[in-house]
Amino acid sequence: MKHGTHLTNTAISILVSLIGLAVLFPFFWMVRSSLMSNIEIYKYPPFLFPQSWRFENYPVTLRTFPFIRYILNTLTITVPSIFGTLLTSSIAAYAFARLDFPLKKPLFTLVIGSMLMPSAVTIIPIFVAWSSIGLSNSYLPLIVPAFLGGGAFNIFLVRQFLMTIPRDLDEAATIDGASHPRILFRVLAPLIKPVLISVGLFAFIVYWNDVMGPLIYVSRTEMSTISQGLANFRSGFGVDWKAIMAACTVAISPCVALYFIGQKYFIEGIVLSGLKA
Amino acid sequence: MRTRKTRRDSLTAYLFLAPALLGLVFLTILPILGVIAISLTKWTGLEPPTWIGMGNYEQIFTGDFYFAHSIAATLYFALGAVISGIVYSFCVALMLNQKIPARGFWRSVFFLPYVVPAIGTSIVWSWMYEANFGVFNYALHFLGIHKVQWLQNEKFAVPSIILMTVWGVGSLIVIFLAGLQNVPKSYLEAVDIDGGNAWHKFRHVTFPMMTPIIFFNFLMSMIANLQVFVPAYALTQGGPSDRTLFMVYLIFREGFLRNNFGHASALSLIFFVFIAALTAAIFSTSRKWIFYEGA
Repeated sequence: MKHGTHLTNTAISILVSLIGLAVLFPFFWMVRSSLMSNIEIYKYPPFLFPQSWRFENYPVTLRTFPFIRYILNTLTITVPSIFGTLLTSSIAAYAFARLDFPLKKPLFTLVIGSMLMPSAVTIIPIFVAWSSIGLSNSYLPLIVPAFLGGGAFNIFLVRQFLMTIPRDLDEAATIDGASHPRILFRVLAPLIKPVLISVGLFAFIVYWNDVMGPLIYVSRTEMSTISQGLANFRSGFGVDWKAIMAACTVAISPCVALYFIGQKYFIEGIVLSGLKA
Repeated sequence: MRTRKTRRDSLTAYLFLAPALLGLVFLTILPILGVIAISLTKWTGLEPPTWIGMGNYEQIFTGDFYFAHSIAATLYFALGAVISGIVYSFCVALMLNQKIPARGFWRSVFFLPYVVPAIGTSIVWSWMYEANFGVFNYALHFLGIHKVQWLQNEKFAVPSIILMTVWGVGSLIVIFLAGLQNVPKSYLEAVDIDGGNAWHKFRHVTFPMMTPIIFFNFLMSMIANLQVFVPAYALTQGGPSDRTLFMVYLIFREGFLRNNFGHASALSLIFFVFIAALTAAIFSTSRKWIFYEGA
């Protein structure tokens, strides 16, 4: 019996490793292709590894793929958006979790219900509205929504987390004469730090990887975000796959690095969103 | 005293909710009214809109085949991606739930594709799918099978995009894994005591206990996959022969590449009704197969 379980576990670990390696394969293939010469990359049958590692592909690619410019553009959108998301979703969550006020239930239902609205449904009227005030070719349409609640989903997540914190702390603070903002930002914020980090990291991923938003609102090349820059680079460089793969590697790396640093919070955030719904 | 506190609380609450409520009004409610109004007009955004009543809807349902093709493509993709994604992620989660070495490491690996830019991974996959030098065709060649134009072939375009999508479902694995870890040990031990084997544990404890999470993942990934956009935009531009003309891509194409705001708005509204109806249908079946503890 014991022996049997041991065998099954070995079989399972081998299977998991195989599937895991398959999942990693596209990343490997990307980096491997980015370090090859044009002759090598079109060799058939293909080499698994480059014969000579051409690291000079990177500086050459970066000359036509202004990576730093795109990163700075993307950060110009991402940083304020993360701030707006954290601020406005946590104050809304505090109101729903801790305060009593008229129309609380219907408002909660409305706000959470808006989560189910596919964003593609409203892109046309929202674009029309921004262009009627002359701002449709700017970063504002991409940043402002983060300051308007930061997404119903985040409000829900922070509220769920706040509900698990005992009220004794707020009550003690109230008796000491603390105001609501003080309770939220000084007393509760440190306690809900894990969920705030999760919300922040996911906001980063969402804004960093956004494709449709910049496509609609950013038309000047020098204002392109990293995703947009990559898409344009791809269509501009047709079949120069080594350069395209180098650009992909460069564009993907910051997310991979951030993921490995903040891994714990990514996983917690996902678990929280899935299990408390 | 009590009422003053209540009043102060209400005031604070509305102040705290002000941004979210402004968002609700300006990003959801007014745009819905807007999309209804615009859908009844012919409008390119340059000259003032002209009222054409139900003209756009008539054209969508009777005029061209784009809409029908789009609904078919979207449903085919979403069903394929959701079902294979759920099966794959549930199986991986079951395996990761065993005591195997480097479990945390593999969990991170499976989650990784989820956090990197979709444009980047789409381009990498398109290189692997490339007809002449791509690694997939090399694998086929190795097995003695003829090369396939993965993304340009009417039969293979959607399955190719499904495979790429399933590769990125790390979040489902993480949610399933967390759920599996919450299955009470005592229930599983009870099966042992009754002389049951691993299959009995799965069939009578683990699976029923997981049905609410399976449902949640099914619903969420259905809603997400119905809104697929990036592969159609980055890899196929809706082709070949409309096989990947997914709804959101069609809306984008009509609205922003062809400047038919009226037509695109009508499509948006139909898309909304379509998703809402599908969600309601999924919910209505849920009572039949979901096990709620204590229910």
